[in-house]
Amino acid sequence: MEAVIEVHDLVKEYTIAKKGSGLRGALKGLLFPEKKTVRGVDGISFSIAPGEIVGYIGPNGAGKSTTIKMLTGILHPTSGSIKVCGISPQADRKSVVRKLGVVFGQRTQLYWDLRLGESFELLRRIYQVDKTSFEENMSILSDVLKLEEFIHTPVRQLSLGQRMRGDIAAAMLHSPSVLFLDEPTIGLDADAKHAIRHFIKEINRKRGVTVILTTHDLDDVEQLCTRLVVVNHGKVVEDGPMASLIRKLAPHRLLVVELQQPFDDLEHPAAEIIKQDGLKVWYQFEKSRISAAQLISELSQKLPIQDLSVKEPDIEDAIREVYKMT
Amino acid sequence: MVTTIRHYFSVAACFARLAVQRQLEYPLFLFSWLLMIPIQYFSGIWMLKIIVDRFQPLNGWDFPELAFLYGLGLLSHGMLVVFFINTWQIDNMVIQGTFDRLLLRPMSVFFQLVASYVNFIGLIDCIPGLIIFLYGCQLVGFEWTLGNIIKLLLVLIGGVLIRASLFISLGTIAFWTKRNASMVGFTLSMLERGTMYPLGIYPYVLQVIFTFIIPIGFISFYPAAEFLGKGSESFQLPLNFALATPAVGLACFMLSQWIFRRGMRSYESAGS
Repeated sequence: MEAVIEVHDLVKEYTIAKKGSGLRGALKGLLFPEKKTVRGVDGISFSIAPGEIVGYIGPNGAGKSTTIKMLTGILHPTSGSIKVCGISPQADRKSVVRKLGVVFGQRTQLYWDLRLGESFELLRRIYQVDKTSFEENMSILSDVLKLEEFIHTPVRQLSLGQRMRGDIAAAMLHSPSVLFLDEPTIGLDADAKHAIRHFIKEINRKRGVTVILTTHDLDDVEQLCTRLVVVNHGKVVEDGPMASLIRKLAPHRLLVVELQQPFDDLEHPAAEIIKQDGLKVWYQFEKSRISAAQLISELSQKLPIQDLSVKEPDIEDAIREVYKMT
Repeated sequence: MVTTIRHYFSVAACFARLAVQRQLEYPLFLFSWLLMIPIQYFSGIWMLKIIVDRFQPLNGWDFPELAFLYGLGLLSHGMLVVFFINTWQIDNMVIQGTFDRLLLRPMSVFFQLVASYVNFIGLIDCIPGLIIFLYGCQLVGFEWTLGNIIKLLLVLIGGVLIRASLFISLGTIAFWTKRNASMVGFTLSMLERGTMYPLGIYPYVLQVIFTFIIPIGFISFYPAAEFLGKGSESFQLPLNFALATPAVGLACFMLSQWIFRRGMRSYESAGS
């Protein structure tokens, strides 16, 4: 299938002035500026197919926002090529942004002083959405995001969760085919997070909207994303479906055993004891070497086991591994 | 083409309506403007009167002529404040990321920048300008012929464009430096001084600068000199001054648009 987003060898360089400390350093920096070129984004390539929900994740300063800003036409790349719906956002910004919805979780595009509905009317005119499709669209958005409770409230009086729902609706008014969400759940309570995740799933399923999501909330990733692109230091370090990423990066499982009484010979050849606390023992083992069932049956033959549980590695472990690696 | 124009008009009208609503949200703020602005400008004209009364005509300009000159400059200032006030805060928009949002919408960025805030409070700036200008017209016996009115309108438009171009070019600096607020303040006071006195009182170098490099002489001085039939002692430009102002304004405006577009290309949005 034709890719919605096609990024090839994307590079963004910044020149930063190196400054010394104190007054002396400041003066020196003023007279003899030491300039340094930093690569915020360092040769990123990927392509995204229609209807995917892609988690674009990485630690702070990894180059996530910079990439999103280049994909949406805000920044010009130093080199490399970008195609969004077949068009370069730098060459033809207006055509590209018509097809995009963009939400920055930390900033709002709504008018602070005015009722939420006023901002929607402005956007309706900017994107030239006719009245009938606007009403239709509004009612669908209202249904899922429960906008009618606060559409007549000034934006400054909205809670963060309500404001975020308003912002997402604002980004969806012109029925974009690609939605960029930059930390859409930051600072929200569990309810609001749930509402937003539900909405993202809905528009993806019903309208086939492609979603690119940056977040630090791994629950978002777990519940929404079919694919992860992990970046660090401006480079893509992993790209693939979440399950395989976890398998690859965090192959360990954990067996927690609680004994009835103290026991000396706890060792098992295929598992490593990583922690022991009173009668509780943590075994770490690799899926590929031994199955959980086998390990349990072998251990229970010699140990007086009271209780046990198996822990699957989760996305958090996987991500931590990635950040550690680079 | 027609649909594009209709599109831009429809958005501009909506922007304007929202701007009025936003300004009416803060009535006390509006009231303080109503109080401060007239005080500022009427004290300006009062100073001029005192200077001329106590000492002598400024560079051959007596009080009625100075009132005409000052009023003309104030009028274009007032119009600038109404229509182009957003060009004063490009740096803020860059820092807070609101500028990013303009780039995400399928319309001209410059249009959105300017149209998104029509400053109706700025009409208060126009009131003292209008009063002082009409008073000056009365004193110098300005003839309200059709030709003069058309010339006057062209001069005002040209003057607004020259002022706007200055602030647009300055604002563009913020794309590189992120900060330019002090430049805006500096430019405002330069514009006030450069347009309220006859250019002839300044040293030769400044006259050259204000004519050819930062052409603020065309905002009020050259056109006023022509309207009042005063020979300009500084330069004998072979142009009809009243028509030079709109031409200079247009040229400056186009130049500032070019600078703005250049700036956008190297725009580095702030923060995450």
